Amino acid sequence: MLDNDYQISRQVTYRGMVWLLAAQLIVMLPFAFNLPVWLVPVMLAATYWRIRVIKGHSAQPKLLVRLFVITLGVAGVLASDMTLLSLDTMVSLLLLGFAFKSLEVVKQRDALVVVFIGYFLVAISFLFSQSILAGAYGVISLIILTGALIANQQSPAQQLSQYATRSSLSTAALMLLQCLPLMALVFVLMPRFSPLWVIPSFESHAKTGVGDTMAPGDIANLSKSDELAFRVSFTDKTPAADELYWRGLVLNHFDGVTWSQLEHEYDTEDLKSELSFKQPWESDNIELRGDPMEYEAIYEKTGQPWLFTLTPTTRASGKILQLGDYRVMSRGDIQSSLLMKAISYPDAIRDVELTDYSRKVALQLPETGNPKSRELAKQWRAEAGSDQAYIDKVLDHYHQENYYYTLRPPLLGDSDTIDKFLFESLRGFCSHYSGSFVFLMRAAGIPARIVVGYLGGEWSESGDFVSIRQYDAHAWTEVWLAGKGWVRIDPTARVAPSRVEGGLEAAVEYEGSFLEDQLFSVRQFKWLDGIRAKMDAIQYGWKRWILGYDKASQANLLKMILDKLSSVPLAALVGLLFLGIFLLWFVMLGLMKKRSYEAYEHRLYRKFCKQLEKRGIKREPKQTATEFALLASQKVPDKADDILSFSLLYQRLCYEPNGTTDGQDSLKKMRRLLRQIA
Amino acid sequence: MTQTAQQLIHNASAQLNHVILGKPNQVRLALTALFAGGHLLLEDLPGMGKTTLAHGLANVFGLDYKRVQFTSDLLPADVVGATVFDGKTSEFNFRPGPIFSEIFLADELNRATPRAQSALLEAMEERQVSIDGESHHLPDPFFVIATQNPQSQSGTFPLPESQLDRFLLRVSLGYPTPEVERKLLQGKHGRGSLAAMQTCITQEQLIALQHQVPKIKMTDALLDYVQRLIAQTRERDLCLLGLSPRGALALIRSAQSWALIQGRDHVLPEDVQAVFVAVAGHRLVGRRETQGDQLARHILNTVDVIGGVRV
Repeated sequence: MLDNDYQISRQVTYRGMVWLLAAQLIVMLPFAFNLPVWLVPVMLAATYWRIRVIKGHSAQPKLLVRLFVITLGVAGVLASDMTLLSLDTMVSLLLLGFAFKSLEVVKQRDALVVVFIGYFLVAISFLFSQSILAGAYGVISLIILTGALIANQQSPAQQLSQYATRSSLSTAALMLLQCLPLMALVFVLMPRFSPLWVIPSFESHAKTGVGDTMAPGDIANLSKSDELAFRVSFTDKTPAADELYWRGLVLNHFDGVTWSQLEHEYDTEDLKSELSFKQPWESDNIELRGDPMEYEAIYEKTGQPWLFTLTPTTRASGKILQLGDYRVMSRGDIQSSLLMKAISYPDAIRDVELTDYSRKVALQLPETGNPKSRELAKQWRAEAGSDQAYIDKVLDHYHQENYYYTLRPPLLGDSDTIDKFLFESLRGFCSHYSGSFVFLMRAAGIPARIVVGYLGGEWSESGDFVSIRQYDAHAWTEVWLAGKGWVRIDPTARVAPSRVEGGLEAAVEYEGSFLEDQLFSVRQFKWLDGIRAKMDAIQYGWKRWILGYDKASQANLLKMILDKLSSVPLAALVGLLFLGIFLLWFVMLGLMKKRSYEAYEHRLYRKFCKQLEKRGIKREPKQTATEFALLASQKVPDKADDILSFSLLYQRLCYEPNGTTDGQDSLKKMRRLLRQIA
Repeated sequence: MTQTAQQLIHNASAQLNHVILGKPNQVRLALTALFAGGHLLLEDLPGMGKTTLAHGLANVFGLDYKRVQFTSDLLPADVVGATVFDGKTSEFNFRPGPIFSEIFLADELNRATPRAQSALLEAMEERQVSIDGESHHLPDPFFVIATQNPQSQSGTFPLPESQLDRFLLRVSLGYPTPEVERKLLQGKHGRGSLAAMQTCITQEQLIALQHQVPKIKMTDALLDYVQRLIAQTRERDLCLLGLSPRGALALIRSAQSWALIQGRDHVLPEDVQAVFVAVAGHRLVGRRETQGDQLARHILNTVDVIGGVRV
């Protein structure tokens, strides 16, 4: 009714502004968890300022003031501890602009700009978090934003209605609901292109998960977190608990205190190039044995490239890097949940031949340090006679001596840590045992290395998948023996067998140190376990089917559907789908129910009108039965009697209080007359 | 409906039509308001015969008739009366104002100040006047005819919506047709013939007719139509101010009264249509400067007469 220019140039109303501010706050809220904290008061202050302006307590800020505020804000972003041109900086700037934009919203056009930026920000917030909660929150944000959009398009009179807020909200929800089928269709069928650009990494996110070095004490820190690391589901058979060694990275270099991957300092790219050059994946160095094990893992965002797989994983999907030490790495850092399918042959013999480089790094020891341990190794190796016997002897030593598994080991100082552990403290956890074991092996000339990853995991209630959490972090060892290849040996198992079979919780039960620092962890409350397990299963479904729905899943799904259905049923299915949507639409528009509410005589009368319309006599809504009958009888003289009697019967039936006594009879007569007129 | 009652009404309208030439519809609406016990607002330019109609009505029914010309210096006491000190008896006596009459003509109501207007309108609603803590009942029947110039004219105080609502019907007379005008100019009709009118309905007969109005029957189908009309006036895209429940009651009361004049014991959609513009025209406030009358006509044209729920 109103032309467009008028609509756009209209002033934003008070109510429209309140809607807009509410939507802005709701959109900006989730960013408060990820971006500099000072943005929160700035956002609130901008909102408060704008509210003062609409209430008339403050004046609309002048251009100079606005410029000053913007300069201050930009300076604040630049001064914050963020790299220039990183995603965080850009999002912060956008948020700042978004918050300040409300200060200059005057025309309806400005309001539209704010709402559209809001939509964009909702999408951006998913870069930070992709959990179900974030999804639900996103939906709420969308409803409020759309509500604000509607409220700003309503005429002032519509806004005055007391139901205006509810009607804007319900309209918004209904609109989004109507989008749902299309959204589902697009989600399932839209081709998944890889992005043309790479999202710069989030520096504000601390890297989580296992580190790439191991000094005594590192893994104990992980043991304090019950955060999810990844989940795995197996296709057909499920391995035993003591088979679930999830290999992450391999530590070869020991400098006397710390175990690390390479001799020198490196960043991730150096590591990848050096490892793929010096220890490339060689599939012919494996002798496959036993049955393959197929599994599917969903890794949580860590900001690191490590993937955790069963050993040896021979094939894996996605952008991954397989290396000669049987680890699997992601080509880039994991910035969002990652789905990977893999096949593993647990019984295979790895490294039938040991390359010179591998042998060299697997025997590396510092020149000096830990003299007692070296001495002990030489002595025992000589006593044992063979490598295997030596290994057994060392393991028996852990078993028989008074070693003690604890998450609260004494500090070992800066040098000769192996000696101190083996001869003095005898207390420690996996990193102590594996470190000392590898040291003893190498000192006796047996190639050995430390593997860091996770052990075990918790099966879901239904047994569909295993959840591996940070406290499942573990370190174990591998020893190379001629004819057997690399053999996994877990010295911790000798000290605390329950660590392998029952997980960390069981291993430190007597000590009570399981997640002792996490006061508010749900794990502390046994009675919540059932709910936790359910939540876990829902989260898994979300990760697996929504976030993990990639090109490959899409192809699989389509193939499955198309294989099952030939083209005819498929066409029928699509047709039915559309029919269903249209039916729903009709019901929503109320077209289906309008007629059926009408009494029979009115329906008869409408038929009567239709008959006359065929003869070119159309009834105006205003015309009463008598008026119309007179008009029609003049135009169709040969049916005049029937028309007049029909109309009279109808009028009597409808309006005369005593005319309804012979209602059925009148209706019968009306039907007969109608036939005659036709 | 007795034959005599019908005859009476017929005689009355015939006489009135002799005075107000060529406006049978408006005359019938005036009678409708009178029988329904409501008040009538005549809105037109000066000199269209408003006062003549009011005068004619009073004559036909043989009712006590008083008239006050509303001006900007009119005080409430000039309308409702005042307490006056009597020197002989040394007492305060209430001297009733002109409003204590059966037909009260408030001429050019919108020329008076809101203060004087509201004194009248209060009396219209309450049918009594309170002065110095004492209530004085107004006579029965009590019928107010107010005339009003269109508000665009200068020196007027437009009546607010709440006060317009007190009037059951608003009627405009409009210019006469050329033929009627010719007769008027020849001087055989109009105000001059007022004196020749005879009383044809007594006060008792009028009260009896007024009691008959609420008994005129309405079916569900008719009420459905009325409710469709009312719902349409409340459509937000159309009207800023729709018909209130009081307006809705006024609509059916007027339709009943109209049906009575037509000599029927039940209401037809035609009756509703005949009174709708007069009932709703001054109560509706349209969007974008639309006149209430135009709006009412538009609603009447768009709402379907046919249809309804069978109970």
